[in-house]
Amino acid sequence: MSKLTDARDVLVLALRRRATPGPGGVVGLKAPLSQSIPSEKPRRRARAPLSWSMRIGAAILLVYVTVALVSFVWTPYDPFQPGVGDGYAPPSMEFLLGTDRLGADMVSRLMAGARYDLGICLVAVSISLTVGTVLGTIAGYYGGYVDIVILRIVEAFQAFPGLLFAMLMVKAVGPGVPNIIMVLSFVGIPDYLRLARAEIQSRRDWQYAEAARMVGNRPWRVAFRHLLPNSIGPILAFTSINAAFVALVTASLGFLGLGLGPNTPEWGNMIARGQDGVMTGEWWVSFFPGLAILGMTGSFYLLGDGLSDLTDPRRRR
Amino acid sequence: MLLRRKQYMPLTLLILRRLLWVLPVALGVVTITFFMARVFTGDPTELYTPPEATDALRAQIRAQLGLADSLPRQYIRYLHDLSQLNLGTSFTTGQSVGSDLWLRLPATLELGFVGLTFGVVFGIPLGVIAAVNRERWPDFLIRGLTLGGMALPQFWIGLVLIMFFFVTLRWLPGPVGRLPVGVPLPPLVTGFLLIDTLVAGDFPKWLLAVRQLILPGLTLGLSTMAPVARVTRSSMVEAMQSDYIRTAVAMGHSKRVVWFRYSLRNALLPVVTLIGGVAGHILGGAVLLEAIFAWPGLGQYALQAIERSDFAALQGFVIYASLLYVIVFLIVDLIYMLIDPRMRS
Repeated sequence: MSKLTDARDVLVLALRRRATPGPGGVVGLKAPLSQSIPSEKPRRRARAPLSWSMRIGAAILLVYVTVALVSFVWTPYDPFQPGVGDGYAPPSMEFLLGTDRLGADMVSRLMAGARYDLGICLVAVSISLTVGTVLGTIAGYYGGYVDIVILRIVEAFQAFPGLLFAMLMVKAVGPGVPNIIMVLSFVGIPDYLRLARAEIQSRRDWQYAEAARMVGNRPWRVAFRHLLPNSIGPILAFTSINAAFVALVTASLGFLGLGLGPNTPEWGNMIARGQDGVMTGEWWVSFFPGLAILGMTGSFYLLGDGLSDLTDPRRRR
Repeated sequence: MLLRRKQYMPLTLLILRRLLWVLPVALGVVTITFFMARVFTGDPTELYTPPEATDALRAQIRAQLGLADSLPRQYIRYLHDLSQLNLGTSFTTGQSVGSDLWLRLPATLELGFVGLTFGVVFGIPLGVIAAVNRERWPDFLIRGLTLGGMALPQFWIGLVLIMFFFVTLRWLPGPVGRLPVGVPLPPLVTGFLLIDTLVAGDFPKWLLAVRQLILPGLTLGLSTMAPVARVTRSSMVEAMQSDYIRTAVAMGHSKRVVWFRYSLRNALLPVVTLIGGVAGHILGGAVLLEAIFAWPGLGQYALQAIERSDFAALQGFVIYASLLYVIVFLIVDLIYMLIDPRMRS
C-alpha cells in the first residue's frame, strides 16, 4: 500500500516540477507548485500513519490537561481545605480515594496536583527547549570560539548529578512555583543545546544548506529557517522523553519537601506526606499520587516513542 | 577521529589520560558548587549558633567555620587544602569530610552493586525476549512493564515495596538501614557488610544484612532494569533487521546462533553505554533511595549537607560523584574493547 502512495507522490512531484519553471528553482518550490496541481486527496495520506503508542500517549495527556483545567473551576471538595472528612478515611463512596492525614479529600488534591505537576513540567520544558535549541543552533552553525565557549560551560554543568543540581539550585533560589520552573528549565538547557548543536552541525554542509546560502540568505536565516526545521524531528522526540524526566524531578523535589509549601497538592509532596500512613496501613495517601505520576510520565514516554519512530527512518517499520 | 586515535593508544596511557580527566571536571564542578552554595544560600552561621548568642560569640563561630574571610580567599584556601587531598571539615559532624565520605562509601556501593546486578541480569534477557518476539504478546507485556518501571518515581516504587513486603506480608524487615535496630556492626574490614560479616564468621548477621538489602536493592534494580531492557530490545531489533543477520539466516544458522552470537553481541554496545550512565549516576540517585530506606550512605550525607548548608561536605560529595562518573566511563570504554574487536589495537 505504501509503495503505491510513494509512486503517486513521485509522479505528482514530477508533474509539479514541470508545471512551474519558477524563478526560485529548488528553493522556491513550495507555494506555486501546490496550487498548480489539483490533487483529489489531501497530501497527508502519504505520511506514515500515527502509531498506537503515539495515539494512546496523546489521549492520556489530553485527559491530564482536561483534569488540570477542570480543577480550576470544579473539584469535589476544596483541595486546600483540611478536615472535610476524618483523617485517613479509607476510600469510600463519599471520598472515592480516601482522605489524607488531615482529612483533605484525595480526589480533589490529585486533580489540583495535575495543574502543578503538568504546568511546571510543560512550562519548564518549553523554556529549556527554546533556549537550548536557539543556543545550540548558534553554536552548531557558527562553530569556532562561540561553539567552544558554550560547550565548555555546558560540560561543567553536565558533570553534576542532575537531581542534586536541581536540589542545590532550589535551595539557592528559594521556594515558589516560578522558581522551580526556572531551576528545572535551567537544568534542562544543556541537553537540548547539545542535541541541537549536533543536529545542525551534521547538516551544515549539506547541499540544500549550501544552496540556501548561495541564493543569498543570511547565515541566521539558513540556520533557523532551513537547517533547524529539518532537525526538529529528533529534538521533538527528545523533548517528550525529557518532559518525563522533568516530571519525575518535580515529584522528587516535592518528595524531599524542597521548593513548594508543605500543603501544596503536588504529587511528590503528597507521596511524602503519606509516608507515615504507609507504615501503619493507610496506603492510599501515597499510592494514588504515584499512579497519577505514572500516567503522566508514561504518556510522555509513549509520545516520545511514537515521535522517534516517525522521525528515525531506521526505526520505522 | 577519536576512535582512530584510541586504536593506537596503549592501554595504560589511555587509562592514565582518562583518570586525568577527573581534574578539570572535578575542578569545574567544585567551583560551581562552591560559589553557588555560598552566594545563594547565605550565611549558615545561624544554623550552628544558639539564638541567645552574643555578637562576639557569633563572629567567633563564623571564624571557626571558616566563613569570616572574603569569598576569593575562602576559595583559594579550599583549593589549597584540596591539592593536599584535604576535603575540609564538616560543619555538622565535626569530622574531616574525607573520612566521613570514605566511611559511608561502602554502604552506597554495596546497594548500588546489588541494584545494578539485578537490573542487568534481568534487563538484558527481558530485552532479548521482547526483541525476538517483536510485535507479539511477550513484547507488548515487557514493553508495558518496562514503561511502568521508567515512568514511576523510584521513591514510590520503594514505598510500595515496603508496603507489600513489610507492612502487609511481614516477609522482609522495615526500612531502618543496613542492619536491624540494635544489632551492632561487625568489625570494620572493608565496610561492605556482606563481606565483613563473613570475615567475622557471623553467618546469622550476614543473613540479617542480606534481608535488609533486598528491598532497597530491588527498588534500585527495578528502575535500572527498565531502561536496560528497553535499550536492549530496540538495539537488538535494529541489529536483527540488518544485512548481516539476513545473511546469517540465509546461510542456515539456527535461531539461537543468530540471536545470541550475532544479534545480541552486536546490539550490546548501546546497552553498555546505558549501564555506564546508570552506574555513573548511582551517587546522585542515592539521595532519594537512601532517604526512604534510612540507608547510611553518601546520598543521606549529601541530603543532610544540602539541608544544613554544610559546604565542605557538599563539595566533597560532588567530587566523589564526578570521580565515580569518570571511573565508570573508563570501565565502559574498556568493556567496549572487550565486546568490539574494532576498538582493540
